[in-house]
Amino acid sequence: MASDASPWPVPADAPAPDDLSRCVHCGLCVNACPTYAVTGLEAESPRGRIHLARAVDEGRIELTAAVQGHWDLCLQCRACEAVCPSGVPYGRIMEHVRAQVAADPPSGGRARAIRRFVLRNVIARPAVLALAVAPARWYAGSPVRAIVRRLGLAARLGRIGALEAQLPRHPGRPVRPGTRLAKPHTVTGRAVLFTGCVMGELFGGVHRATARVLARGGIAATAAPGQACCGALQAHDGDLAFARVLARRNIDALEGDDTTIVVNSAGCGAAMKEYGDLLKDDEAYAARAVAFATRVRDFAEFAATLPATAARLGARVTYQDPCHLAHAQHIRHEPRALLGRITGCEVVETAGGDMCCGAAGIYSLTQPQMSASLRARKAEQFRQHHPDIVVTANPGCQMQYEAAVREAGIEARVLHLAELIDEAQRNAR
Amino acid sequence: MTTRRELVARLSALVGPENVVYRAEDLIVYEFDGTIEKKLPHAVVFPLGAEQVAAVIRLCNTLGLPVTPRGAGTGLSGGSVPTRRGVVIGTSRMRRILEIDVENRLAVVEPGLPNIQLSEAAAAHGLFYAPDPSSQKACTIGGNVAENAGGPHCLALGVTTNHVLGVEVVTAAGEITWLGGRVPDAFGYDLRGAFIGSEGTLGIATRIVCRLLPLPATVITLLAIFDTVEQASTTVSAIIAAGMVPAAMEMMDRMTLQAAEAGLQCGYPADAGAVLLLELDGIDEVIATQAARARAECFERGASEVRTASTPAERELLWKGRKGAIGSLGRIAPNYYILDGVVPRSRLVEVMGRVSEISERYGLKCANVFHAGDGNLHPLLLFDERVPGATANVLEAGEEMMRACVDAGGSLTGEHGVGFEKQRFMPWLYSETDIENMSRIRRVFGNEGDFNPCKLLPAGTGCGETAHHAAAVRAAGPDAYV
Ligand SMILES: Cc1cc2nc3c(=O)[nH]c(=O)nc-3n(C[C@H](O)[C@H](O)[C@H](O)COP(=O)(O)OP(=O)(O)OC[C@H]3O[C@@H](n4cnc5c(N)ncnc54)[C@H](O)[C@@H]3O)c2cc1C
Ligand code: SF4
Ligand code: SF4
Repeated sequence: MASDASPWPVPADAPAPDDLSRCVHCGLCVNACPTYAVTGLEAESPRGRIHLARAVDEGRIELTAAVQGHWDLCLQCRACEAVCPSGVPYGRIMEHVRAQVAADPPSGGRARAIRRFVLRNVIARPAVLALAVAPARWYAGSPVRAIVRRLGLAARLGRIGALEAQLPRHPGRPVRPGTRLAKPHTVTGRAVLFTGCVMGELFGGVHRATARVLARGGIAATAAPGQACCGALQAHDGDLAFARVLARRNIDALEGDDTTIVVNSAGCGAAMKEYGDLLKDDEAYAARAVAFATRVRDFAEFAATLPATAARLGARVTYQDPCHLAHAQHIRHEPRALLGRITGCEVVETAGGDMCCGAAGIYSLTQPQMSASLRARKAEQFRQHHPDIVVTANPGCQMQYEAAVREAGIEARVLHLAELIDEAQRNAR
Repeated sequence: MTTRRELVARLSALVGPENVVYRAEDLIVYEFDGTIEKKLPHAVVFPLGAEQVAAVIRLCNTLGLPVTPRGAGTGLSGGSVPTRRGVVIGTSRMRRILEIDVENRLAVVEPGLPNIQLSEAAAAHGLFYAPDPSSQKACTIGGNVAENAGGPHCLALGVTTNHVLGVEVVTAAGEITWLGGRVPDAFGYDLRGAFIGSEGTLGIATRIVCRLLPLPATVITLLAIFDTVEQASTTVSAIIAAGMVPAAMEMMDRMTLQAAEAGLQCGYPADAGAVLLLELDGIDEVIATQAARARAECFERGASEVRTASTPAERELLWKGRKGAIGSLGRIAPNYYILDGVVPRSRLVEVMGRVSEISERYGLKCANVFHAGDGNLHPLLLFDERVPGATANVLEAGEEMMRACVDAGGSLTGEHGVGFEKQRFMPWLYSETDIENMSRIRRVFGNEGDFNPCKLLPAGTGCGETAHHAAAVRAAGPDAYV
């Protein structure tokens, strides 16, 4: 379609007709989709959302508030993409339609503007983010929290209350670019630890555990200076321009050799592995982005290649796949294999263990109702299986599982895979 | 005349506003199924239970609005496309398993339940539901009943009608009735049998009693690799002639293998001319000897290699490729037109030759996937509907291929149904009297032509009022439905 006749507000970032026409509406994806599972509506299914994009592209319908609503409800979990035999690049399509909505939103423009401001100026600015998160970090580990919970105050606070339930129990000191991390006795290899945005501020404990596990495998990981937020949240929200700014910043900071870049947040890892796609039209960066992406490894993917270290933990553990690990990076086997190496660790699989928990970046704030329905499904499974520990590999999911465990009324701990392995390795010493 | 607003209000009163879809942008996703047919409904409703289904059907009948049942919309004959608009009744919010009766080996389910979820739930009791269409992750039990769906494992075990004991149906007249029940061999006319395979033209199934089978003790899955489709086809006949009844016997040609491998990384040899996917199940010793014989048959007819899946994971991988094969062809072209011819097994090779001759003549890429054991061919013609004339070209080639199947003593459809696209070919196989008798059955269930119109039976019996209808709509202006 000629760009002057384009039905899209930002033709340069329009979903490619060839991406759209790849969908042969076979339907094999619909039941993998969490929003379809909850609503039973075709418009809330991948096949439906692609068809809507195609209808807009062909000028058969306008990009109305209703169409936007169907796209907004998408979790971008990419479960559909993982099962699609035709190879429809759903994640890319959805980032492109979000870019259109972001440029000219038929509804909710103000909320969107605020969101974009926050994602650009708080999340992606380390100093500002540190200030913004500080009170939450203090609160999470403080005695005040116990009181708030006992009095049931959080329940009366709406969205703030929902956030309260999600905060990790022991946030740990922040890990930022430049922070010193554990070193191995004998160094057999080196890696860069990607620190991220919220991850570094609220989940410093996970980063430290990651570094310790890598160190026991002989790997010296450094929180290399200069690195920035990965840009995933911004891209998912349709702010591709700013996501590209962040991607370039990371490439500038971390390129130069071929050290592995270890990422322990599935969402960040997935985005960074796709920098090549994001920057494909940027002459100065396209090739460098591809080279960068080949160095990115998820923690589980990398740890599984290290020599096994003794580990012991007597507990009933359930592993819940983060979407951007299982569906976007196709990593399902490695985390389970790592758990399998721990003596005494009984792994239970739950129904829908690889279905989105509803955290999905900022989704739990933008779509609280759907997010809660999906969390309730997890809570129901936890109630049934009674795990001692819920393990996952992404900060957002960890926060959602904190809330789900509370909702289930069970006493389980929620840990990042790295934390669990670290604890088990320490037990075995 | 009813306006859109009135229609929505009346439907909402029956099923609740949250179960009615009517905005243009919301309706557009209900214009298609797994084929290339498209038509926009006026409204889509999601009733909960037989009572609500009956109420909606009766309202539509009063208003003279066409009704079209819809499951997951994976149909491959246009069955759930609302050819004359009107109201689509979707079953996607009726998808519970109501009961699993382990002792009597049956399950009672709602029609919108995705096929695979029944077998998943039954597995906990060591049972499974046999019909396993390749679309089983998506398609519904209700849609399977309507199409009398088959699947790879129906070779030995039979198709849907062999595994459904009873159906609660809301007829086209809006009456609730049970056809069959919880025990096999109900006496009286076999109306259950008439309903299964009626392609949503007699009524809507609202509860289904499914027979469950014990999971086989041992399963051996073989992948035999050949240079040509011909070698693979003769092997199929040889295996059957040798007295074996494999649980499944599926064939894929080179183009399909390449697409499936690209899309699903299932370990298929992308340079082979054809493969046979063979599955044997039963008791250990028997199966081991059968597998050895099957391997020998394959090698004797030119197989270059026969792989055996030795773990459940390997087996699953081989099947993943087969079950995703059709969808994976979307990698080669944006559209496919899938045929569903059946030929006597003995003429498989000959008809395959005709098929490739026809696709060459029309300049079309053609991929082939078959339930080879049943002589059920699925040539898939690949094209791009955006190219002017491409669709017409494909339809014409498809017609010639179907003719070739019928000429070889075969039939028009093995499992996908006649639906909209093939009804005009019915006279190739049925006399006027045959067709009139079938349309009488339709009237017995209260379908005077508006219930899933223009499907199954040739236009004239089912589509008589089309012109009249169009004129009425024109006279009433754009906002009128009737
Ligand atoms: C990739 C792919 C592979 C396939 N493989 C196979 C295969 O191996 N074997 C096979 O047999 N088919 C196969 N099919 C075809 C299709 O999946 C089946 O016909 C299936 O039974 C349709 O189910 P559905 O729920 O999608 O129904 P829909 O497509 O929604 O409807 C099909 C027909 O059933 C009617 N209907 C739906 N629900 C009801 C109900 N509750 N009561 C009465 N009528 C109803 C509709 O009106 C329509 O006429 C395949 C399709 C695809 C896309
Ligand atoms: S599985 Fe892929 S091709 Fe099939 S409907 Fe979904 S997106 Fe489309
Ligand atoms: S990304 Fe997730 S929520 Fe969105 S359509 Fe795909 S499966 Fe559904």
